[in-house]
Amino acid sequence: MHELSLATDIYRTARAAVDARGPGRLDSVRVAIGELAAVEPELLVYAWEAVVSGGRDAGAKLEVEWHPAKQVCATCGNVAERLEGMWMRLCPTCGRPVHVEGGDELDVLQLSYTPDGEEERP
Amino acid sequence: MTQVDVRQRILADNATAAAALRERFTSTRTLVTNLISSPGSGKTTLLEATVRSLAGRLRLGAIEGDIATERDADRLRGLGIPAHQILTGGACHLDARQVRDALDEHDLGPLDVLFIENVGNLVCPTSYDLGEDFKVALLSVTEGEDKPFKYPAIFARAEVTVVTKADLLPHVPFKLDEVREQVRALRPGGRLLVTSATTGEGVAEWCALLEERLRAKRGGTP
Repeated sequence: MHELSLATDIYRTARAAVDARGPGRLDSVRVAIGELAAVEPELLVYAWEAVVSGGRDAGAKLEVEWHPAKQVCATCGNVAERLEGMWMRLCPTCGRPVHVEGGDELDVLQLSYTPDGEEERP
Repeated sequence: MTQVDVRQRILADNATAAAALRERFTSTRTLVTNLISSPGSGKTTLLEATVRSLAGRLRLGAIEGDIATERDADRLRGLGIPAHQILTGGACHLDARQVRDALDEHDLGPLDVLFIENVGNLVCPTSYDLGEDFKVALLSVTEGEDKPFKYPAIFARAEVTVVTKADLLPHVPFKLDEVREQVRALRPGGRLLVTSATTGEGVAEWCALLEERLRAKRGGTP
């Protein structure tokens, strides 16, 4: 349930980036969220809608790019094929321990905005 | 429409505040742990046992995060250590700015070890760096052995997993080996301690780990 504070943080970052380029209205923001970031994408989008609603950027979209974590075998280098949310205990190829790589993404990637005076958002 | 590359961490403000805290804890040579678990898994009780065991040797202090009540800080103050309660008023985690403000407002004095007991929650606190040296995940035997795979983010990030309430093991169907396997898959090389604040099992090992980490932080000098 910390998605609301994350959405607020994303909005603050995005708004500051637009402000730095002159007056304009935010159209969309793209974020990267990792599987191990402890964030539920649907809740984040829902929180985002609440954050932007009623303000100058109402209707701006949040696009979530999802990054699964990988389990990699330190011994044979095998990258374990895993279903989302399922974890290997040991390397399925050689039976040795695996380690987790990636999945901690929590980044604002890009945004798009319409400078004041340009055409309305379709 | 204009496209802009932003490439900035979400929670960059928190990361900045956490980095400043980390610098501060380095200059005061204070070891800091961030304790994270579900509610009722025994964070405060483990800290009470820790204080009883280490208070003569080390200067300990605590920051307690809770939605409401001063109970946890009261329990630790009752044992004679400085403790400050942060009331989050509904928020599900502590952030670095809250910890900074708490330390600015309430000087806990010079400390060897500062415990930050997070709000009881296995999810949200994981995302917030508090400037700690390491995170500790606690898991009580009554919660079941499937927690690491269910809450992988915290068990992948916690350098130490502490199983608590081990005195109840004869009464609950809790598979310790299963926890070991799951923790190893998420955090190879992570430490796993089995403790009971009631019988004292594992408390000495936990305290030894803290002393060892404190020595390491101080470059081998006490």
